[in-house]
Amino acid sequence: MTDLWFGIQITIYGMGLVFALLALLWGLLALMVWLDGRRRAPAAAPEGVTAALEEVTAAPGVRLRGAGVEELAPEALAAIAVAVLAHASQEQPRGWQTAPAQPEGSAAVSRWVAAGRIRQTMGAVQRRRG
Amino acid sequence: MNAEFFLRLAQGPLNLTWQGLVMLGVAGLLFYLAIVRGYEPLLLLPIAAGAMLANLPLSPMLGDEGLLTVLYRAGIENELFPLLIFIGVGALTDFGPLLENPRVVLLGAAGQFGIFATLLLALGLGFTPNEAASIGIIGAIDGPTSIYVSSLLAPHLLGPITVAAYSYMALVPLIMPPVIRLLTSRRERAIRMPYSQRSISKRTRIIFPIVTTIVVGTLVPFSIPLVGSLMLGNLMRESGVVARLTGAASNELTNVVTLFLGLAIGSTMVGADFLRLTTLMILVLGMLAFAIDTAAGLLFGKLLSLLSRRGINPIIGAAGISAFPMAARVVQRVAAEEDFENFLLFHAMGANAAGQIASVVAGGVLLALMGGG
Repeated sequence: MTDLWFGIQITIYGMGLVFALLALLWGLLALMVWLDGRRRAPAAAPEGVTAALEEVTAAPGVRLRGAGVEELAPEALAAIAVAVLAHASQEQPRGWQTAPAQPEGSAAVSRWVAAGRIRQTMGAVQRRRG
Repeated sequence: MNAEFFLRLAQGPLNLTWQGLVMLGVAGLLFYLAIVRGYEPLLLLPIAAGAMLANLPLSPMLGDEGLLTVLYRAGIENELFPLLIFIGVGALTDFGPLLENPRVVLLGAAGQFGIFATLLLALGLGFTPNEAASIGIIGAIDGPTSIYVSSLLAPHLLGPITVAAYSYMALVPLIMPPVIRLLTSRRERAIRMPYSQRSISKRTRIIFPIVTTIVVGTLVPFSIPLVGSLMLGNLMRESGVVARLTGAASNELTNVVTLFLGLAIGSTMVGADFLRLTTLMILVLGMLAFAIDTAAGLLFGKLLSLLSRRGINPIIGAAGISAFPMAARVVQRVAAEEDFENFLLFHAMGANAAGQIASVVAGGVLLALMGGG
């Protein structure tokens, strides 16, 4: 009987603790997800886009040359300028990539590598035949 | 050439015992379940092999320097193997569905009720508190947690507890559907749940395992080994900077440790100790623990469904256990039986991921309450 009472106590405390801990985790997860959404929200706001356009249009060092550039709308010019700046600001990897990144996974071979191997093999066969 | 010489040659057959023969039969049954029926073969096959090798007469593998003894000391006595497996489980688990719908975390908590209900039943049957807690942990429906907790609280019951935990885990598709159908109406099973368009950033996915480890580890220090290992694996996966380690944890490490763990567990199934009434009771209690978990999750799902004005399908509550992702798939299958176009899988996966964390938390809480560790 003592053991059974002990078990009931363990059950009450145990389930209470498990629920309390997971409720706390729920709160934390909800907070993390909310902060995540809030951090990303300004980028999508229309005001933010307008401000960015103005900044980029006035940005130094971006010159667009070529036929028909004058005919482009200011918004299109701003978009191109943003793309150029974004590309320029990206940190380059240590070595220039000569192929798309290998997909994750131990045995996976990228389509790029596979296509290259097939081309090499076919070329060698054709040379031998020819 | 005297009689002693021939006796020495025939000592194998002469030392056969009926318990050993029965256990060879049990090993045969486990081989059948693993190979023919495909029930958790990755673990049941090594367990069966361990049981077979341990029950052959005068098996040197159980000697002081025998392979099975060495494996047991190296990975079970010090709880190393289950924790290494947890790193692999973490590397394989996607907590995205849980992050997209955090409220389902509570379904994971309800799914742990089977632990405590089984503990009560075991106490009623005369087991000691530590033994009852070890049997109850089968209700976590999580192999590594069961092994970890029972190796600390009642190592002499490790064999039957592990066999029950893994065998029933393989039987989730058979145990869950009848309980779901019994406790829910057709109308409830057909409730559709909308999908949120929320996408979770990589930053949040990386922060999640770190925050969970710190919070749960600080509040329940007994759970640090379990939650720490699980979240380490997940952090490696989500960070994306250690693809080789993630691959190794989820493949090579998990595979090697699963083999060693299975053999070591099988070696605990020696006939003289295993063939007792307590083993049969543990197997029955383990089955009840699974059913109670499913029922508790469902009933809590019903409560949430009521509170959300049928915004939640109660059967996702049944997925709030640790058998990942099998439980979620079973829930989807049952939902599709009522309404072929009802896609609950993602919600059920959220509850299932919550069950994974909740089982670890429950294991730590149980150890803390029992003063084990």
